[in-house]
Amino acid sequence: MGRESSMKPDYQILAYITMDKNRLLASSCLSLYAETEQDSKEMTVDIAKALKADVVKMTNGDYLVVRV
Amino acid sequence: MAEQSLTMDELSVIVTAILCGTIARAWILKEDYRQYPSYPNGFLIHIIIGFVAASLGAVAIPALMTKNFIAVTFLTLALQQFRDVRKMEKESLSDLENTEYTYRGEAYIDGIAKTFESRNYLAFITAFTVSLTITILSISQWVDIAIGIVVGFVALYCLKQFTKGKTIGDIADVEEGKVEIRDSSLYVDDIYVSNLLGTENSEKMFREEGMAVVIYPKEDHFRINLDNFGQRQAALFEATRALGNKRFHFTRKEYEKGRVVIALIPIKQEIDSLIEVVKKCPLIESAKKSHSVMNTNLKGEK
Repeated sequence: MGRESSMKPDYQILAYITMDKNRLLASSCLSLYAETEQDSKEMTVDIAKALKADVVKMTNGDYLVVRV
Repeated sequence: MAEQSLTMDELSVIVTAILCGTIARAWILKEDYRQYPSYPNGFLIHIIIGFVAASLGAVAIPALMTKNFIAVTFLTLALQQFRDVRKMEKESLSDLENTEYTYRGEAYIDGIAKTFESRNYLAFITAFTVSLTITILSISQWVDIAIGIVVGFVALYCLKQFTKGKTIGDIADVEEGKVEIRDSSLYVDDIYVSNLLGTENSEKMFREEGMAVVIYPKEDHFRINLDNFGQRQAALFEATRALGNKRFHFTRKEYEKGRVVIALIPIKQEIDSLIEVVKKCPLIESAKKSHSVMNTNLKGEK
C-alpha cells in the first residue's frame, strides 16, 4: 500500500498470473496460468484479497500480487 | 534545626518559581490537530514531569544561597531525567508505529522526542529565572514576586520563539493535484506516482475518492528539505492522521522541478483540510539545512 517507511523497501512478490505459458518459469513465488483475461483478473483479485496484498498490472497484461 | 528549615522568603521564592515553571510547561503543552499528546493521560504525564523540572529549577538558587553546594549536583539528575523524557517519547512512539495508518518515520519521532525534552528545559529555565530574579531583588516581597513572574514569562516567550520550528508551508506552496489513472498507473499533475492500482476496484476507488496535493518548493534549495525521506513521510503521516486513510497512500518526488506529491484515499473528503495539514507539517530538525552556512567562507575557498 505504498508504505515507504524504511530506506530499504521490503517488496515481496506473492504471486504472478500470466496468460502466456512461456512466461511461467521456475520461481519462488506462486506462478499461475490463466486461460482468459477474465480468469486472470478473478484469480488475481481473489489472491490479493486473501493475502491482503496489492496488485500491479503489467504492460504485457500479466498481473503481479505484491506486498509493499 | 532552625537553620535547616526554610524561611518564609525562601519558601515563597520556591513556590512561585515552581508554579511559574509548571504553568509554563502547561502553556506550551498544546494538543493540536496532530492529536499528540493524547488527552488526558499524556497531558498528566507531561505536566507532572514539567512540575519536577520546575522544582529543580526553583530550588537551585535557594540551595546555593544557603551554601548547600552539594545540593546543586542534583542538576545532573535533571539532565538525566530530561534525557529519559526523550527516550520515553521515542520508545512510546516507536512502539505505536505499526498501529498507525502509516509510519511517522524515525526522523519525525526523533524530532518530536527532542521537542518534548527541550520543553522540559523551558520549564526548568523559567522556574530558574523566576527564582533568580526574586532572590536578587530586594524591593518588597510582593513586588519582587511580581517582577520575578514577569521576567520568567518574558524569558519563556523568548525561548519559545527561539525553539519554534518552521513548517512546510513556510518554505513551499501546497496545491491540490489532479488525480489521473492511466493504464492502472496513478498520475498526479502528470507526475507518475504508483502502479499499484492494478485491479479495476482500486482504479475506480482512487478515481472517485482519491485526493492528492502537490508541494512546490518556493526556492530551489528548499528541495533539500522536501526531498528528505523523513520529511515526506512526516507529511504523509500528518495527512493520514488528520483525514484518516481508507486505502492507499503514496508520496513521490519529481526530479525536474522538485515537486513532491502526496496522494491517498482519505476517510474525510476535505481537500482544504488536506492542504492545510500538509502546510502545517513541521520541518523536521534532522532535515533542516541552513542555506546561509553554505555561503560562508570557512575554508578561505573564495
